Formats: sequence, structure tokens, C-alpha cells
Amino acid sequence: MDDIIAEFIAETNENLEELDNDLVTLEQDPDNEQLISQIFRVIHTIKGTCGFLGLSRLESVAHKGEDVLGLFRDKKLDVKPAYVSVIFEAFDVIKEIVGAIEETGQEPTGDDSQLIGKLEAIYRGEDLDTTAAAETVDQPQEENLIDDLEGGVWDDVPAVTAEEFGVAEQGGHEDTDDHDHVLDHGPDHIQDHEDDHKQAGKVKQQAGAASNLSLRVSVDVLENLMTMVSELVLTRNQLLQIARQNSDNDYLSSSLQRLNLVVSELQEGVMKTRMQPVSNAWGKLPRIVRDVSQELGKKVDLEMHGQDTELDRQVLDLIKDPLTHMVRNSVDHGIESPEERAAKGKPETGKIILNAYHQAGHINIEISDDGKGLSTEKIRQKILEKNLATKEELEEFSTQQIQQFIFHASFSTAEKVTAVSGRGVGMDVVRNNIEKIGGSIEMRSEEHKGTTFTIRIPLTLAIMSSLIVGIGGQRFAVPQLAVSELVLVGRESGYKIEDINDSPVLRLREQLLPLVSLSGLFGIEDPDPDGAKYVVVTKVGAYMFGLVVDDVYEFEEIVVKPLASNLKNISVFSGNTILGDGNVIMILDPVGILKTVGVQDVVDNQIEEGHNIKATTRETLLLLFRAGDETLKAVPVDMVSRLEEIKIRDIEYSKGNQVIQYLDRLMPVFNMDKNKNDSTSRPLIILKHEGKNAGLMVDQIIDVAKYHGEFQDNSNDNVLDSIIINENAADIINAALLANKGVIISEDSVHG
Amino acid sequence: MRSCLIVDDSVVIRKLVRTIIEDFDFECHDAEHGEAALNFCKTNPLPTLVMLDWNMPVMNGLDFLKSLRTLDNGSAPVVIFCTTENDMTHIQMALEAGANDFIMKPFDKEIVRGKLEQNHLWEPR
Repeated sequence: MDDIIAEFIAETNENLEELDNDLVTLEQDPDNEQLISQIFRVIHTIKGTCGFLGLSRLESVAHKGEDVLGLFRDKKLDVKPAYVSVIFEAFDVIKEIVGAIEETGQEPTGDDSQLIGKLEAIYRGEDLDTTAAAETVDQPQEENLIDDLEGGVWDDVPAVTAEEFGVAEQGGHEDTDDHDHVLDHGPDHIQDHEDDHKQAGKVKQQAGAASNLSLRVSVDVLENLMTMVSELVLTRNQLLQIARQNSDNDYLSSSLQRLNLVVSELQEGVMKTRMQPVSNAWGKLPRIVRDVSQELGKKVDLEMHGQDTELDRQVLDLIKDPLTHMVRNSVDHGIESPEERAAKGKPETGKIILNAYHQAGHINIEISDDGKGLSTEKIRQKILEKNLATKEELEEFSTQQIQQFIFHASFSTAEKVTAVSGRGVGMDVVRNNIEKIGGSIEMRSEEHKGTTFTIRIPLTLAIMSSLIVGIGGQRFAVPQLAVSELVLVGRESGYKIEDINDSPVLRLREQLLPLVSLSGLFGIEDPDPDGAKYVVVTKVGAYMFGLVVDDVYEFEEIVVKPLASNLKNISVFSGNTILGDGNVIMILDPVGILKTVGVQDVVDNQIEEGHNIKATTRETLLLLFRAGDETLKAVPVDMVSRLEEIKIRDIEYSKGNQVIQYLDRLMPVFNMDKNKNDSTSRPLIILKHEGKNAGLMVDQIIDVAKYHGEFQDNSNDNVLDSIIINENAADIINAALLANKGVIISEDSVHG
Repeated sequence: MRSCLIVDDSVVIRKLVRTIIEDFDFECHDAEHGEAALNFCKTNPLPTLVMLDWNMPVMNGLDFLKSLRTLDNGSAPVVIFCTTENDMTHIQMALEAGANDFIMKPFDKEIVRGKLEQNHLWEPR
């Protein structure tokens, strides 16, 4: 009998998992006979089995629920939201009881008379007060969720341990022969309703962890396996390193090769056992969306894509609550009321789309809604109200930067605080918790169109792909997730580190990238300050910054070891690892570094929309043209006096140089493509410099464009510098040099 | 040994019924719904006893019973419908379709013993 109870719990949990979603679907599609039969059957089976097992409290709730569902099935009762809410309430009680049985082996005592009364009333065809029903279901749940987000649930990974199973098994002490006496100790104990709900939060998590497993293995066992495999990976790495140094032993290297392969497969296999589909974290969302939208009188559809995307259960557990919170937020703050939507010409029913997908070794989860989006104006006011930035600073921020303020502590823009969200515990907690597992969160929003959150999280926390970098001879690991690009700077690389307002920056594709010098940060002496450096372009959420390092080695799968507790408060490191050669190195925490150097500084220096550049960098208007070869060429517009079209036959020769009669003077003409004389006429740029003019014959005038940035402008070469403009490379022609060879033409005559 | 086919969509119920039925000297077989049960009956000697649930996915108990009765050739299995009070209205239909008896869930060994005795599958002692 013991294993029967355990099996009953597994079966019931599995069925219940689907039940919430099925019921939500049914509410939207009340005529779906197959669905109602399915829901009915699940409850029917629970009720039937309970009888055998002597679980009287569970049986009575399931029984009354089944009665109502039977009416739905037989079309004697319409599927109304108010009724569905009560059925949900019954599901919750069932889950709570099943969870408690799983934990203690005993059916918990409790008073369901209120719920049973409601179910009976529906069965008898009495009308219910909708709001009363909805409140009792949703209110206590809300408390739990907020508590979860505030409290330490994050550190406390719910795990079903062997002990708990043991208890559950012992609990099944009843026998079919004598189940009658068990019936006695059921619903007689009257208890405070609140107590039940305090239990509910804990119990629900237990239920989630135990379902959907075909083979039940204690999570402790898996964790242990993972640790050992991690150790094995390290040892393998060390062995491989040794073998590389002593490559003369064929015997050793072939055995090692095999070991390498097996260990890799073992690692993959163990990782796989820890993988769970993301739908495990999403399972409750349709129900939550339904409840919240009901409560707020909104119409919301939830669409889910990529439910099968798998990730480590530890990561999954940690993102479950942030996800739930964000989806609630979307319903509460994002989606407008049906009237508001209709007035805006949008469909009355709002849409929330969840999407999960793999991308280069990590998982992206997007939560988008087609709601009202973020009002930048309101955020701006709030920023000023809360003194998070000055008015002057705000002027400088881009829309994107302003929107990121919603991740600041105590930042809620809802005009009225509702019970659903917006108590000030919000996006900052979400962000902190996502960053805690090495992930990042980003938001894009357009007012009246909607908001999209993108969460990027690692597949697993145990083994991480990292870039190994060197600073002054010491090595560090940078999580690959954060690395978006590597740039070689100094020497002939074409990139150089500049100082703007005393902070180092790198000009990268028309953007200024704030830099953090790791040698400066860690106090490591730089043996070669003027030598070539690498900039590791690092992305944390919407912020980009560069880490300046001396060397870049390779990407390596490293096993993350947590920091010793006395180093925990050093936020620039997230852990350490042992490399193949046996050296212990620190893992850098980009988020921690960003915080240590000051997020504000970075935001100040961040260039997103270009308007900051005006204040700090030179802007040059360039005339773009082609001449000779395909390379784009440019001259500053302020060195151009006129553009003319000349006929080839008008070109004359004077002292062996090409000249043209221009405003009664012979002006030298420079031809960048001497071989090209086939056309009858060509564009001529008349350059001016310090009063002198000269003509530059080109193939084609392309455009005039603004260039933000410096270029070399004092040189005796024909080409001053090469720049990137409009994503194309362009040579800046030394117009001054050419013009100086020209003749003086008075301004009067030019314009005359 | 005589055999019993237990048809129920709940694995827990199947196990529970099996523990009871095995004590009455039956070799037990499982099916999770009517269609699986029907396949079993088509590919194996017909069982002596069928413990049949009503409400199952794919094929319900009544449809299975009707099909089973068309299969049978002389050796008619004793079919006991396992129902709950919600299925009371169905009992008449079940008996008309050829069920021998019905038994109300939850049942225990003594109730099953009584039913088996009534259907001459167990000798009263």
C-alpha cells in the first residue's frame, strides 16, 4: 500500500498540472466537449481513488467538484467565470491536500465547508456573488507571491528529497480492508482558513517538483552526481594538459582521448538529467493570467512558444517567480482595459506572448504584450520625483536609457497601486534575481504599442563557457554570455583608447564605449601600458562597456566553484575555477564590475542615439564621392567651394599639369583616375583652402554626410585618414594639400 | 489459472484492484482504456473476469463492453462494472449492454468476495 499512495500522488500531480490550463482553455471554449470530459475524468478518478485510500477530505472536495463539472459536461450549466473560479478554488484545495499528503503522509485537517457550500450552491443552480468568490481565491495567493519575491525563497531551492519520499511512503498506512475508520478523522477539525493558505505556498512548490517525472530520482543524488562530474571534468582537463606537454607517449594519449570523449558524454548526460522543459515554469501562467485579468476586468490571451526548450532545473526554479511576477505585471500594467483598447482602435482582447529559445549556449525568454507600453514622460517625472537623476542628466538620456530606470529599486509607474502588482517590489527584484544567476534582462517599449522584456539566462549554473583573459600576467575568466565582441586596440589596429572627461572610452562604430581598465580596478601593475590591448566588449542588459585586458586566450568550459564565504562580498568576482593546468583563477562578474565602477557613470557615458556625441566629439560634414577605384572618398564640406560639371575637352595643359579656365584664372585640376578619359564630361569639386583653389575631378558625387569623430587632419599624405561612415569605409582626401597647389581666386569672383 | 482483465485509466486503481483480485486466484492483466482492453481480448484468450471502469479516455467502458460482446464465442467473460454513484444512471445502460454486475467504488476485499460469489467465481466457505 505504501507505494500506492506515492503513485497516487504522482498520478494526481501529473493530472493536476494539466488541469489548470485545461480549465482556462475551457472557459474560452465552453463547447469543447472533449476538454470538459477530460477535466471531469481527472476529478472523477481522483475522487474514485480517494475512496480506496481513505482520503475523505480530498474525496469530498473532488466529489463536489465533479458534481459541478458533470453539469458542465451535460450542458445543464453554462461555463461562467464565476463558476470556474470556484472550480479553481477546489483544484487549489485538492493540490494543497495532495501536497500535504506528499509531505507528511497524512491527509491534513482543514475546513472545506465554505468551498463545499459554494460548490453545492452552484450544483443546486443558485447564483453566486462573483466578486466574493474571486476574492477568496486570489487574495491569499497574492500574499504568497509577494512574500516569495521579497523573501529568501530565492536561496531556498525547493527540492524533493529522498527523506520526503520516505515520509510519503510511510504515510500510506491504510489498507483497503479497514479504510472505514480513516473516514472519521477528516473534516471534523475546524481550523482557521488562513492557516491552510499559509501552507499552500509551500505545498504547491512541492507538487510542481514531483510531477512529470517518469523516474523519480532524488534531486540530491543528481546534485551529487553533478559535483562529481565537475571534479572529473577538472581532472580530465589537467590530464589533457599533462599529455600535451608529454606528447611522445602514444599509449597515454590514445587512452586519454577516449577518456576525454567519455567524460564529455558523461557530463552531457548528467546535465541532461537536470534539464526540464521551460513549460514546467510556465505551467501555472495561464491560470494566473486568467485570475488576474478577471480580477481587473481585462481580456487577455496568453500565447506560449518554445515550451519544450530545456534548461537546468536549478535555473528553472530560480526564474519561475520572476517570470510569474513579470507576466502579472504585463496583465496589470501592460494590457489596457477593454474600453481603453477599443478607444485606441486595438482589439479588446490583449495579447501576452511568451517565447523561449536557445541562442548560443544560453536561453532567451521573451515576454511581450501589446498593451500601452511605457510612457517615457511618466518615467521621467518619477525619476525626478525620486531624485534618481537631475533634470540636466535626464535631457542627456535616450529613451532607452530612461526606460531602463524601471529596473531601479522602488520604481512603479502604475498610477494606482493595485493588489496584483505595484507595491514597489518589482522589476528591481526581478532584475537582481536574474542577475544573480548570471543572466540579464532588457526591456524595449513603445508607448501604446507594447512592451517586450528579454531575459537572457545561462543553460546551467554548474558549467559555464568562459573567455580566459590575461591582465599583467594573471588570468581571469569572463562569462561568455556577457561577451559580445573582442576589439584589438593600439598599435596598428586602427582603434585607440581615448579619454573623454577623464574616463577612457573606445570609439566603436560611431558609438562611445566606456571602458573599465581591469589592471586599474584590481591594482595589477601594467608592464606595458603603451602596448596593444584587447577590449572585451561586455553586455549587461542594455548596457555595453569594455573591459581592457592585455591578453585573450581561449574559450573554455569551466566548472564554477563558489567563492569562499569571506570573499563573497567582493562583487567583481562571481566565483573561481581550476584551469586545465591546475591554476586557480577568478571568474569576473560583469554585473558586479559595472556596479563597482558605478552604473551611473556608465549610463552617463553611454551613447545610444548619438546626441551625446555632439557635446563631446567633433562633427564634420563630409562630401562623399567616388574617384578612381571603388573606395569611398571624402572631403570636408567646408573645404569645398563649388561643385561643377566640366567637359573633358575643356581641360588644357600648362607646364605639363592639367588646368582649366575657371573664373578667368587657370586653375589646376587633379584627376584621380588618369586612365579614365572616355566620358565627355565629369564632376569637378572645387576645393578651397586659405584662399587658394584647385579642382578635383571625380567619377561620381555620392552624398553629404555627418561624421562624428576625430580624424587625422595634419599630414602631407594624399589620404589623411580612413574612417567609417554610414557603415562604409571612406578615405579622407587631403584637400588642403591639393588646394595649396592651386591658385588664388577671390571670393568675390567665385560668387560673382 | 483463470485470468482477470482490469480496465481503468488510473494506474493507482488498477494496482488496487489487482491486489484485491489476485487474492481470489486470478492472473491479472491491465488495460488503460477500452481500446487497449479490446486489443488484449482480440489477441489473447478471453479472460474469465473483467473489472471495468466507466469513464476512460479513447474508448469508454460501455463501448468496450458492446464490442466485447460481439467478440465472444461461447466463453462469455463475467463483466463487473466498477462505478461511482455519479454513474448510477449508466448502470441500466451497462446491464442492457451485457454487464453481469456492478460494484460501487470504493470497494474492498469483502465486497468483491460477495460479487464473485454471486457470479459463481468464488466458493463461499
